[in-house]
Amino acid sequence: MVVTINGRQFEVEQGQTILDVARANDIYIPTLCYLEKVSPIGSCGLCVVEVEGQSEPVQACSTYVEDGMVIITDSPSLFETRRKVLERILERHPLDCPVCDKAGECRLQDLVYEFGLEGRIADHRVGIPRLQEPPVTYSTPGIKYYPSRCVLCQRCVHVCMEHVGRGVLVVNEEGDKARIEPLYADNCISCGECLAVCPVGALTENVSPLKARPWQKKVVRTVCPYCGVGCVLELNVARNKVVKVTVDDTIPPNHGTLCVKGRFGFEFINSEERLKKPLLRKNGEFQEVSWEEALDFVADKLSSIKSEAGSDAIAGLASAKCTNEDNYVFQKFMRAVIGTNNVDHCARL
Amino acid sequence: MTVPLEKVGEEMILNMGPQHPATHGVLRLVLQLEGEVVKRIVPMIGYLHRGIEKLCEERTYIQNLVLTDRLDYTAAMSNNLSYALAVERLCGIEVPERAQVIRVIMAELSRIAAHLLWIGTYALDIGAITPFFYCFREREKVLDMFEMISGQRITPSYICIGGVRKDITPEFLEALKSFTDTFETYILDYEALLTKNPIWLSRTRDVAVLSREEAINWGTTGPVLRASGVQFDFRKATPYCGYENYEFEIPYGTNGDCYDRYRVRMEELRQSNRIIKQAMANLPDGPILADVPYVVMPDKSDVLTDIEALIKHFKIASGAFQIPKGEVYSSIENPKGELGFYIVSDGSSRPYRMRIKSSCFVNLSTLPVMVEGRHMVADVVAAVGSIDIVLGEVDR
Repeated sequence: MVVTINGRQFEVEQGQTILDVARANDIYIPTLCYLEKVSPIGSCGLCVVEVEGQSEPVQACSTYVEDGMVIITDSPSLFETRRKVLERILERHPLDCPVCDKAGECRLQDLVYEFGLEGRIADHRVGIPRLQEPPVTYSTPGIKYYPSRCVLCQRCVHVCMEHVGRGVLVVNEEGDKARIEPLYADNCISCGECLAVCPVGALTENVSPLKARPWQKKVVRTVCPYCGVGCVLELNVARNKVVKVTVDDTIPPNHGTLCVKGRFGFEFINSEERLKKPLLRKNGEFQEVSWEEALDFVADKLSSIKSEAGSDAIAGLASAKCTNEDNYVFQKFMRAVIGTNNVDHCARL
Repeated sequence: MTVPLEKVGEEMILNMGPQHPATHGVLRLVLQLEGEVVKRIVPMIGYLHRGIEKLCEERTYIQNLVLTDRLDYTAAMSNNLSYALAVERLCGIEVPERAQVIRVIMAELSRIAAHLLWIGTYALDIGAITPFFYCFREREKVLDMFEMISGQRITPSYICIGGVRKDITPEFLEALKSFTDTFETYILDYEALLTKNPIWLSRTRDVAVLSREEAINWGTTGPVLRASGVQFDFRKATPYCGYENYEFEIPYGTNGDCYDRYRVRMEELRQSNRIIKQAMANLPDGPILADVPYVVMPDKSDVLTDIEALIKHFKIASGAFQIPKGEVYSSIENPKGELGFYIVSDGSSRPYRMRIKSSCFVNLSTLPVMVEGRHMVADVVAAVGSIDIVLGEVDR
């Protein structure tokens, strides 16, 4: 099959959408609601293109290519249509970029900047939209929901339904009052997938008080320390503290998905309660001691127990938060030096 | 502290500055004296080096604007203008006509302010206290006008990429009109105090002479060049901001001495006043900022009431914009001479390299040519003053 996009011809396959073909050939079509991992949502109407023979523009994300299709992705009338879409969204969007968590990596901001919208379009007869409504309770305490920032793209609804398979979220009410609601909140597993796909600041993370703008962050790729799946994480680090966890959609094994632990369980890293020096119980109380003293003490006791009661009187419990290498060395130590198979770690508890 | 000169026989090495009042900032001059005659003179610079060129590589084009205020801080508006013109040429931005005329008014006002400061302090340097008070009286009026439109007296950052920050107000125009109407008579006041004053004449005539050839060979610009008899001015040679539409003359001297530099600057005051009058008469209506929403900041009052403006402001302020790849050199006629910006853009929101061509630096380098072997220590003060240096621009 052959289609023509903006005067250039492309070989295409059955089952591809117009957007797929355009993206594969570096032809830019603006999108807001489109999400690769779920079926086309088609709620925003930004990806409209003109197809010869059709009286109205069609949505590129949900229209499948047909042989001989002639497509135009950019024209003054398309620009005007897309502009109207943005204007409709902006009409009730609060003026709170400076305090919004998402500002700087917000898809809506990118689009407005890209379209270069000039002048006042929002209807301000009802006053300047501000972030007035108090945050609405959400299905999980890890996330806050600001309905006034919401662009109703329904990415969260679809990703919860199709990708996570819980179907917690629905769109409730209509018009100005329309908003996302966790109707089936009992189903929620707090995975935060809805938070990750939100293109604006409507769903914001409610765990860490530490925040940072994108240009202040350094992204470090690592592996989740919790269970044996070994999900790939990207820790967003600012001022030497982890402020957020993001994921790259393309990398196995998790392909952009995380569970509640991986997404929200990063605060222990900067916790004040973490041990930084070895403690030794002296006269019934823990006291900070040097590594040398602590190791000497442990070595003394272990060898005396081993000589008095035998190797199997000792058991070792490692942590799943340690690296593979650390755990390998630990079991080697238990087996080869102590001489016991009593080794386990916390993830089995 | 290193001393670049060696003492021979009865000679003396003398440090003038960096805290000497006649060096106009923190310039250190090392003099090799034979009696009172200056055998050699070495300007030691760098006491006000802030690394502005390097700083500019780390900051966005928008943020860099405020650094340019701190070059020649006696004429910050002109520095803004030169930088803005360079970036605009890089981006291909067309500035609206009204903004261009406002820019001309501001550039000429800052020329007047800078020259007034020079006349006042130069006269003070070589012993005449009175002109200082007269000059600063008028300079104050100019600074008040700057404050009226930008909120700042010395570092306005008023001329920005794409136009000017705010439109001028009727009060400003009123103040400007009363200033330009009376300024000619004030110039006569200064001239009455200095031009035929015998002490003034004996301190400046035939002192620190720079011949026409020397001036050209050393690459001097501005009043120093023109006093040596070269009729060259960037406003005429490569007009910018519509300077080709204004009638004005390029004053020039014949001897290239301190007196001629004084006369040239005095005449430039008149010409600047003349340009401002023409600009006021032909002030067009219209926008003051170019309609380029990708790099030109929206108006602040819109930012507080309009989501599109807020988003654009956020994006531009946080450096999300991109400047086309390329390089550009653009220079203007600053009060002191040529101020040029050479910018290399790698397509990001921060310059890859920015080089500032400073006329003060070049003009200062002619000091040994003017003084060595010809003059005594007291004339060094007259010579340094007559070049009109600002260390903020020399050291950058």
